[in-house]
Order: sequence, then structure tokens, then C-alpha cells
Amino acid sequence: MLALAATAIVPWSASADELLAGAAVSLRKPLAAIALDFEARHPGTRVRLSFGASSTLAAQARAGAPLEVFVSADPQLVDDLERQRWGEARRDIARNALVVVAASGFELERPEDLLAAELRRLALPVRAVPVGGYARQWLAQHGLLERLEDRIVQTEHARATLAAVDAGHADAAIVYVTDVRATPAARTTLAIPQAEQPAILYTAALRAGAGELARAFFSALSDENARAHFADAGFETP
Amino acid sequence: MSEGELFAIAGLTLRVGALATLGVMPFAIGVAWCLVRLEFPGKTLVRALVGLPMVLPPVAVGLALLWLLGRRGPLGAIWETLGVDLAFSAWAVGLAAALVGFPLAARACEQAFAAVDRRYETVAQTLGVTPFATFWRISLPLARRGVLYGALLCFTRGIGEFGATAVVAGIIPGRTETLSLGIWSRVQLGEDGSALALCAVSFAIGLATMWIGERWLARETP
Repeated sequence: MLALAATAIVPWSASADELLAGAAVSLRKPLAAIALDFEARHPGTRVRLSFGASSTLAAQARAGAPLEVFVSADPQLVDDLERQRWGEARRDIARNALVVVAASGFELERPEDLLAAELRRLALPVRAVPVGGYARQWLAQHGLLERLEDRIVQTEHARATLAAVDAGHADAAIVYVTDVRATPAARTTLAIPQAEQPAILYTAALRAGAGELARAFFSALSDENARAHFADAGFETP
Repeated sequence: MSEGELFAIAGLTLRVGALATLGVMPFAIGVAWCLVRLEFPGKTLVRALVGLPMVLPPVAVGLALLWLLGRRGPLGAIWETLGVDLAFSAWAVGLAAALVGFPLAARACEQAFAAVDRRYETVAQTLGVTPFATFWRISLPLARRGVLYGALLCFTRGIGEFGATAVVAGIIPGRTETLSLGIWSRVQLGEDGSALALCAVSFAIGLATMWIGERWLARETP
């Protein structure tokens, strides 16, 4: 009887018409739309998306998480996986840019304004998280990184960084322009000129031995429809 | 967050908690009975080991589990041959819940067996009842209150598990996302409304479980 009860409550298990993709959380909006379109074109299928920091997802993939497609905000993470023979194909699918944000009420006109005494907390993920690395790169260009180091409050990923400012837990942050666009709120922003922007490239990778559905989804990430969704959300496409 | 999503998360949490409790109780009862009724060398060590998952940081428990269940761990070749992926599956969520719930269940069972008057067992055995039948028909029924309380603790601890689960199972929507993982990921996304909705569901489940448990215990109190 116990065995019978156990089979009745056994949690959900994977099926053939379902695929799991892990993606940088900054891609949440366009990828959700692309996945919906994909499901409509492939009736009966289900695309499950696991969003997080690219570095976290890459670590999970290395440890054996059943991700069939992985989209990273930093191509280096895909390089690392490739060295371990994780993937069998890769494709650059989108580009992004950084912007400095502060809670409304703060004045931001130039990078040095981040040193203002009243900006006590700067939200950033650790360096391993792509946006944490890109932001530090830009801060270092302006000689601000060391001077701001003790004001950094650590966040989980790109989206959490912006959420920390919006919730009042941090005074300022460096985030993706697409995240600012996706969640309208009252904020002070400081645009970063094109010449200072780090190269932020999203790379999709297909796991070696992935199923047909995963292959089709991987292709769909760079088709015309996907490019339209990326453009809608403020990303550039190659 | 859709209603379906909310039900899916709550459903997975409850099923995993129930499965973990069902899986853990036979071991908890067995270990507890041995600790109370048998004398053997190293008993203190066994007792300390039983309590270990309770005092270790859950993240450390998760990492140990990932090492054991992952493809790169010492058992990786076995999982590969069997073609099973336990890490980052609902099974990993269940194992994490079981591991952290086990000490609570075992402790409660141990106390329950310790409170059973040994004379009933002795009398049964002098009347020719086998040791197993003595356990099944005398000791276990007499200890049932503590045993069920242990199951209740194991279940409630299991459904709230976070640290170990996040490491060994990730936060995969529809596969490993339980209430506590769902709350965390939504807070990270700045979706406070959805996080609060999941908190409310956790609150309701916790209250209902404790209410049912307390009612049952009150009825069982001699």
C-alpha cells in the first residue's frame, strides 16, 4: 500500500515533448515571447525556461543539470562549457549595453557622481556573474572600482540588481539597458557612451546529444521572429 | 504569476514533502529503535551522525548531495550507466528534504520508544511472540504518538527546505521549484506580489499541517 501511495505522489518526470533551457535572466522578456511562439508552432510541446545568473546556470550545467539549451550573457561561460565537451553548437544571438541607475532624487551627470557621500550602497552581483564583471570593467576604466568597492552590496543577478534599487535596498546600480526598459519606474539614469561600453554578447549553446525539440528551439533563437522579439526588448541582434 | 503556476508549485512541494516523509520514516523508526533497545559500541557516534544534517549548514548538505548524485561525483559513472539524472530533478528535491528531515524524525521516534514500558515487550516475548511481532504489535503502537509527531516534523521541515535544495536541485520552474525556492527567485526578480502570494500559500499549508497534527495529537493524548 505504501508503494502504491508512493507512485501516486511521485513528482513529475521529464517527457519527450518538453525541453528545458537555461538562460541569462536579462533575456527573460524576449525569451518568454520566443518560447510562446515556438510552442504555438510546435503544438503539444512545452518549453521550460530556467532563468538565473549565467554563471549559476553554467555551474549547474557542468554539475549535470538537464539543460538542453543554455543562453549566456557572457560567451566565456560557453567557452568553459565547450572545453568540457558540454555543447555541440553555439551561436551569438543578441547584444546588450550597460546603464547606470540611481533611485530618483539622486543626481547623476558623470561617472564620478557615484562617489557622492549620499550614494551609500551600490548594487552589483559578484564578478563571476556577467553583469558584475561588465560593470566592474567600466568602473575600473574610470578609476572608480577601488573607491567604490566597500559600497557594493551583492545581488544575485542582473534583474535582482535593478530590483534592489527599485525596492530601496540600494541607492545605485549598473544594469542592462534592457532591464531598465522592461521594468518602468521612476529612476535617475546615466547613459554610458558607446565607446565605453564593454562588448556584451549573448551566446546560445546546444548540449551535445540534445533532442530534436531542443535543436529546433536552438535554431529558433536566431530566426527572424526571435530577432524581432530581441529588438522589441531593446537588444541588438548580430 | 498564474493560478496554474501557483498550484503547480504548491503541488510539487506537498508531493515531495510527503514522498520524503514516507521514505524517511522506516529508517527513522529503525534507527531510533536500535538506539533505544540495543547496546553496541559506537552508539554515541551513531547518535551524533543521525543528528548531523540538523546541525550542518543546509548548503553543505546540498553540496554533499550534489557531489554524490552529480555526474562528476564518485558515483557519477553509476548514474551514467543507469542513465538516470538525479541531480536537478524532483528526486533531488525529495532527497534534500528527506536528509534534513531525518534527524527530526529519528529524534522524535527515539524519545517515543524510550518512553515505552519495557515490561510489555518482555511479557510478550515470554508468551512466545517473535521480536518483530513484539515490535509491530506492542512497541510501535505504544510509541505511535511520538512517531507521528516525528513524521509531522519531518514533513514540515522538508517542505520548507531551501539551502540544500537550491544547490542540488537548482530552481527549475515546473521541475524543482518548490514554495521556498519560488519565493526566493521571485524576490530576486523584484516580483514581490508573486513572492507574497507564495508566502501566503506556505503559511496556509504550514498552519493546516500543524492544525491537523495538533488535533490528532490531542486526540491521542491519554
